[in-house]
Amino acid sequence: MKKSNDHGKPETGHESTNGSGQKYGMVIDLDKCTGCGTCMVACAAENNVSVRADQSDKERVITWMRLYKISNGKKFPHTEVSYFPRPCMHCDHHPPCVSVCVATATKLDFNTGIVSQIYTRCIGCRYCQAACPYGARYFNWWDSFPQDKGMDRYLTPEVSPRMRGVVEKCTFCHHRLMRAKNQAYAEDRRELEEGEYITACTEACPAQAITFGDLNKPDHKVSQLIKHPYAFRLLDRLGTEPKVYYLSSRDWVRKLADNFLPGEYEPVVNRTWAEDEWSTKPGRDEF
Amino acid sequence: MDSPLIPHGVKRCTPGVFFLWTLPWLALLAWGGLSAFLCLWKGLNQTNMSNVFAFALWIVFDLAVIALGAGAFFTGFLTYIVGRKELKSIINTAVVIGFICYSGAMVMLGIDIGQPVRGWFIMWHANIHSMLVEVSFCITCYLVVLAIEFIPLILENRQIEKVKELRFLGHNLHEIMAVFAATGTFLSFFHQGSLGGMFGVMYARPFAAREGFYIWPWTFFLFVLSAIACGPCFTILCTKLTEFLSRKKLVPDDAIEFLAKLSGRLLAVYLILKTFDYLGWIYGIVPRSGLTFMDFFRDGPYGVWLIVAEMIFCGLLPAIILLTPGGRKSQGALIFASLLNCTGIVLNRFLFIIVTLAVPVMPFDRFWGYLPTWQEWGIGLAVVGYGFLVFSLAYRYLPMFPKEIELNPVPSE
Amino acid sequence: MTMKITRRNFIAAVVGGVVGIQVTPLPWKFTDDAAIWTQNWPWVPVPAEGAVTEENTVCNLCPGGCGISVRKVAERAVKIEGRTDYPVNPGGICPVGMGGLQLLYDDDMRFPGPMKRAGARGQGQFVNITWGEAYDILAGRIAKLRKDGTPEALAAIDGNYAGTTTGLLVERFMRSVGSPNYVKPNAITDTYHMGNLLMMGKSVPMAYDLENSDFILSFGCGLLEGWGAPGRVMNAWGMWHDANPKNRKTRVVQVESRASNTASKADFWVAPRPGTDGALALGIAHVLIKKGRVDERFINGFTYGFDDLTSSEGQSQPGFKTIVSNKYSPVQVERITGVDAGTIVALANAFSKAKAPVAVYGKGKNNLNGSLYEFMAVQSLNAVKGRINRPGGVLVPDPLPLAPLPEFDPDEVAAKGLETPRIDGAGTKAYPFTDSLINHFADAINQGARSPVDTLLVFSANPFFTVPDGPGFMNALEKIPFIVSFSPYRDETANMADLILPDHTYLEKIEDIVWPVGLQYPLYGLTKPVVEPVNDTQHAGDVIISLSKAVGEATGSAFPWENFEEALQARAKGLFDAGGGLVHYDASKPPWKFKPFGNGQKPSYKSFDDMWGEMKSGGMWFQPVKLAGMDGLFATSSGKFEFVSQKLRQTINETAAQTSQKAALDQMGIRVAGAEAFMGHYAAPKLGVDRSKYPLFMVPYEMINLSSGWIATPPFLYKTIFASQLLKEESFAAVNPETAAKYKLQQGDRAIVKSPVGELRVRIDLFEGAMPEMVYMPLGFGHTAYDEYQKDKGVNPNNIVKALNDPVSGYPLWWNTPVTLTKA
Ligand SMILES: Nc1nc2c(c(=O)[nH]1)N[C@H]1C(S)=C(S)[C@@H](COP(=O)(O)OP(=O)(O)OC[C@H]3O[C@@H](n4cnc5c(=O)[nH]c(N)nc54)[C@H](O)[C@@H]3O)O[C@H]1N2
Ligand SMILES: Nc1nc2c(c(=O)[nH]1)N[C@H]1C(S)=C(S)[C@@H](COP(=O)(O)OP(=O)(O)OC[C@H]3O[C@@H](n4cnc5c(=O)[nH]c(N)nc54)[C@H](O)[C@@H]3O)O[C@H]1N2
Ligand code: SF4
Ligand code: SF4
Ligand code: SF4
Ligand code: SF4
Ligand code: SF4
Ligand SMILES: [Mo]
Repeated sequence: MKKSNDHGKPETGHESTNGSGQKYGMVIDLDKCTGCGTCMVACAAENNVSVRADQSDKERVITWMRLYKISNGKKFPHTEVSYFPRPCMHCDHHPPCVSVCVATATKLDFNTGIVSQIYTRCIGCRYCQAACPYGARYFNWWDSFPQDKGMDRYLTPEVSPRMRGVVEKCTFCHHRLMRAKNQAYAEDRRELEEGEYITACTEACPAQAITFGDLNKPDHKVSQLIKHPYAFRLLDRLGTEPKVYYLSSRDWVRKLADNFLPGEYEPVVNRTWAEDEWSTKPGRDEF
Repeated sequence: MDSPLIPHGVKRCTPGVFFLWTLPWLALLAWGGLSAFLCLWKGLNQTNMSNVFAFALWIVFDLAVIALGAGAFFTGFLTYIVGRKELKSIINTAVVIGFICYSGAMVMLGIDIGQPVRGWFIMWHANIHSMLVEVSFCITCYLVVLAIEFIPLILENRQIEKVKELRFLGHNLHEIMAVFAATGTFLSFFHQGSLGGMFGVMYARPFAAREGFYIWPWTFFLFVLSAIACGPCFTILCTKLTEFLSRKKLVPDDAIEFLAKLSGRLLAVYLILKTFDYLGWIYGIVPRSGLTFMDFFRDGPYGVWLIVAEMIFCGLLPAIILLTPGGRKSQGALIFASLLNCTGIVLNRFLFIIVTLAVPVMPFDRFWGYLPTWQEWGIGLAVVGYGFLVFSLAYRYLPMFPKEIELNPVPSE
Repeated sequence: MTMKITRRNFIAAVVGGVVGIQVTPLPWKFTDDAAIWTQNWPWVPVPAEGAVTEENTVCNLCPGGCGISVRKVAERAVKIEGRTDYPVNPGGICPVGMGGLQLLYDDDMRFPGPMKRAGARGQGQFVNITWGEAYDILAGRIAKLRKDGTPEALAAIDGNYAGTTTGLLVERFMRSVGSPNYVKPNAITDTYHMGNLLMMGKSVPMAYDLENSDFILSFGCGLLEGWGAPGRVMNAWGMWHDANPKNRKTRVVQVESRASNTASKADFWVAPRPGTDGALALGIAHVLIKKGRVDERFINGFTYGFDDLTSSEGQSQPGFKTIVSNKYSPVQVERITGVDAGTIVALANAFSKAKAPVAVYGKGKNNLNGSLYEFMAVQSLNAVKGRINRPGGVLVPDPLPLAPLPEFDPDEVAAKGLETPRIDGAGTKAYPFTDSLINHFADAINQGARSPVDTLLVFSANPFFTVPDGPGFMNALEKIPFIVSFSPYRDETANMADLILPDHTYLEKIEDIVWPVGLQYPLYGLTKPVVEPVNDTQHAGDVIISLSKAVGEATGSAFPWENFEEALQARAKGLFDAGGGLVHYDASKPPWKFKPFGNGQKPSYKSFDDMWGEMKSGGMWFQPVKLAGMDGLFATSSGKFEFVSQKLRQTINETAAQTSQKAALDQMGIRVAGAEAFMGHYAAPKLGVDRSKYPLFMVPYEMINLSSGWIATPPFLYKTIFASQLLKEESFAAVNPETAAKYKLQQGDRAIVKSPVGELRVRIDLFEGAMPEMVYMPLGFGHTAYDEYQKDKGVNPNNIVKALNDPVSGYPLWWNTPVTLTKA
């Protein structure tokens, strides 16, 4: 579907980030990811995400960053579990959510690659939610912030709390870009250094599994990591061109990241360390 | 009691009977009113919609009634533009149905969005790429057109007609109705198409995605075609139901038969194209997304039977009946076929909305179920109640069926 | 001129009006205003602006002690972030720490100030009192106990981490009053300390040099579930799993019965039956011995009990080598553990091939105790390979050089009270090396007609919820006449209290962190207040000092400090006197690197006051890792690392001298005889339950993103819980599909898990990673207190744990409760 389905518009590149500006992106190393969920909590804390009594109502809870638990499905004791932290992919090619939005409440910023969301513009039609294949968009089913609990005391003024009836999503912590830019301008600089603007989830990850940077800058670590043979994207073949990449040395994890017809998937890693070590398993007879 | 309002020369039931008849519909409206109040006051948490089922029952109702209401523009087109004179006996009915369907859909949409007060942002901050903007624009305009088409009929009410200016206005509107019919046709073509487009453009949802045909996703045309293939059948159904309830003939057979034949032909064409659509999808889009047809029907209650029902039982079967003269002539067969045809379109819209959202795209995501709350049913069914009520009022007080007197001569008192 | 209202001009007027209004700005203005109103709903909070500052401190929500910085807007704390200038956790933190502000600001969860019970116990109804009244009530009560000559009827349960100053003050207060009944909940560190005492002769912190190891064989440690200092361990995990194969030197093998996060993400997972890890470790040792891949130099030079022993009477006794060779061959171990013999051999090969392997022992997080013999078996494996006091192995450091608090003499009343036996039986002949036995404490109260405890003080602990066999503990609480909680939170135990003297939370007070669990270098962390107390609370340490003075002169004289910080400083003087400690961290010089940075960094301070000031702003004092000399390293009677503990042998023999060898062993719960009783070994526990009636085992498990002990779970964390663990109000038990099929259970079915102690209603999660015949239940759900976020979410497996005693230590064996599973 990748090539032609952009509902007819020729690929002029005007709906994907251009080469000259920034193109912020993220690489998440799934081997490093411990499944701890700190990124989810950091995101919620950083972005004034609401907390409702029933946070375990998975269909309505708001988690801009969401951890998916995946399994190789093998029988005990060959079972393995891994985790997929899933922020918004900040799709670079006609973000499915952007072209459908009725009120232009969400846009792809060509200069940064960030897919924004304007809560005060959103009418809550949820068409964008239907269009996003990653489930990255969340609707405020309730008046979002708990009242009379004193919890509004930890809200940060950098991110406006949302009202009921609008959609919200990961913004790559856009306010942190603003913060970094302000700092740079104050110091009379136009360009940001690598690492000056990183997202809250990147910063919080205790295993340093997340790397954030500018994909247009070859010297940024993200640009190097995405060339790694272990690098891949979620649902790559749909053609949404996510700017969030993953790394995994486990073939079953890579295979679960997209849909494949039988025989289509080509393994990257042929043998694991354990297979090497265990391949010449000495028999029990030795003892 | 209300006899001064009832058109000359027709017979209607007593006000008491009429009042009793309206009770169930008023009850549905009250239920809907309460539901709407709760949804507007407390928010959409009153529904069982979720981040998975972002579109749900209401959108199914919306799309269904808009498709069923297509009889209005299409009959208008045939009557005023093509000049099928026999349809003059049914055009009023078609217009009233259209008006009911579209106004009902608009109200439902107004409740369905999270920020109804900002609804006008669709127009003000319109995103021209969004199919839903096109839909909203056209539907809004078309509703105005429908209202204008409805007005002359209202003005023909015995009492209103007494006001000279209004009679004059009604007459003049009649004269230029062709202009509105043309406008309506144009608008409807686009919004029916765009409704299909809404799903076809979701290129990252392989279940709904349909490749581009020039600048359109081809669901654009399929939706137009399916709507005009079934709209007339819905008009027939409503007419037949009125005839059954009032125990008299209201529309001459030639009009009904013409619509039925046309419906059958359109349905046949649609089915051929829809078959190509399915084939193109199954062998093109689906494998390109790394999926097989059956992958979509692995979990949950949605099975292949839905597609079999849509294509065979509610497609092929009514098409055959409608295309055979015998089928059209037989009251039972005609009604059965019309019912199937209308069910088919509802199934089609259901598939595009509910199944699209129910099928997770990420291989490791799970299937979630959804059952509407009473509030959702309340609002959906209120549209049904509203339809019955408006239609009954129109039938009672307006000369909706111009041939009624001719077909049912009243013995002079 | 009058205008007659005709129908015609009436209609005209209406129509005209309607049309007219459209061309005025009115409708457009209203529409716009209405939309603007939706964008500024008054009930949507607008966070206040203000000056932005960052305050560095240290998280002490667990003894991991991560460096955190708190972002503040004016006086409000708005975000917690990990510090890159702190050695434990260079940058990241765990989800609990990340959600910390909710623990500070959630009013529903906290006590507004000192309170007195109003409703029935457990209902959580309290009325405000003043601090003066609170002191009067409590001091009066304690003074009366002393006057009656029964100071031992005062008891304290103290959840403050071992060695912290608040903990020491509570313990000191109890001694000054005259009660031996100072009880701490058991944690893995207790097992470490006891094991180290028995094998190395000293109770030192467990120091695993993980960062310098290339092969980590983890026996049950929840490396990714919150074990040790989670900030440190997870950071190391990131280093070990670099995408670049060249940087990927370290392999992790996890030994655990369930595919936990650690097991799944390890390079290899080995699944023995729960409670048989010790046998597996010895099986590996067996292979190493048989293949001659042992460290002869270490064994011959620095260990005792490897080869056969000659007793004082000249009898030959089998040593470690003989016993392991005879009883723990891979085939024998396969029978015990269920791990295939070939895998055991392969593990041994991998362990011996590695340059710097280490076997680490744990049980999930640190929160719960382990088994002493299991720990000893794993330590023996390290010793066989000479991995003790080697880089990348197990280091043997000295404890932190904190100055001891000055001695004091208990007065007559106190001295008499202190002679009474502890209620929990810790330190008796049955459990000679144990400090506290919280389960036995509850049992003792439940046994008698009257509670031996009159007044119970609870500090930073919620035993009602966290102690295995919760119902037993609840009964005990009900029997205690007067309970005082120092908790800032409305937890389950506090809801049972009669008096609340709420402490500050960690962001409102100064507190120390003594050597985060498992760290290989000495570190003393200092938490400081970053916001003004939100509620009318007082530091528990200060309260103790004031209370001691209010109780009487004798108790007061044991506390020569004005306030808590003075006591802290008194201890920290020792750090200054030791010299060489660093109070700033340079990220390019990780403290675990032996070279080139390990040595030669100079302290940045000149005086103690200097040091204290810098510690308060930086939150740390540490010394880079160094290797101790082998001379005098082990304080055992042999002066060596003891495979066969002479201390244990001596203690058992002493008891045996009074009764018999068999009686002595039985009393301690030891199920083997001879030298094996003094070394790490495996013996199947005597369950005392008809297994045909309870064919399955329930194993509780812990999660990094759910607090199961010390603190509440910040509401944010419930976002991270999977639908297969908690959905709406119900928590799930993970069961292998094969086992579930036997009981006709399918995904999501409701079922009853029943043990001899009680039953719980759960939903079933079919999980291939669960060992067949086991039922795995998450710890941390099932609160009946706190706020709407935590209350009534799932069930607490502690409520059905039937815990046996671990031999020698007496700690609960919480990991194998026989249960049944039936469809509900
Ligand atoms: N993510 C996550 N992580 C968690 C938790 C959670 O809920 N979530 N729970 C946390 C909780 S509640 C707890 S309590 C912990 C468990 O933590 P505990 O096991 O209770 O830790 P401590 O006993 O405090 O150990 C402190 C360190 O200081 C040393 N030490 C202390 N006192 C002495 C002493 O007197 N002498 C010597 N020689 N050494 C001493 C010990 O060796 C140890 O390394 O786990 C924590 N980890
Ligand atoms: N199932 C299970 N059982 C366990 C554990 C476990 O994790 N799971 N952990 C074991 C371990 S390691 C321990 S330490 C114990 C711990 O467990 P406990 O100490 O018995 O209980 P917690 O639930 O940790 O108690 C935490 C309570 O301390 C209070 N608190 C929080 N912050 C502060 C503070 O700053 N000051 C004061 N005064 N009070 C505070 C709050 O009320 C909080 O609910 O239980 C042991 N048993
Ligand atoms: S914080 Fe890091 S390790 Fe934890 S779940 Fe997120 S990405 Fe994984
Ligand atoms: S992931 Fe979803 S929300 Fe994000 S840009 Fe892509 S389509 Fe939009
Ligand atoms: S819900 Fe909001 S953001 Fe999404 S399409 Fe509708 S208006 Fe746009
Ligand atoms: S980038 Fe920012 S907004 Fe997006 S998931 Fe991470 S923390 Fe949340
Ligand atoms: S690991 Fe422990 S110290 Fe570190 S942030 Fe988490 S709770 Fe706090
Ligand atoms: Mo704890």
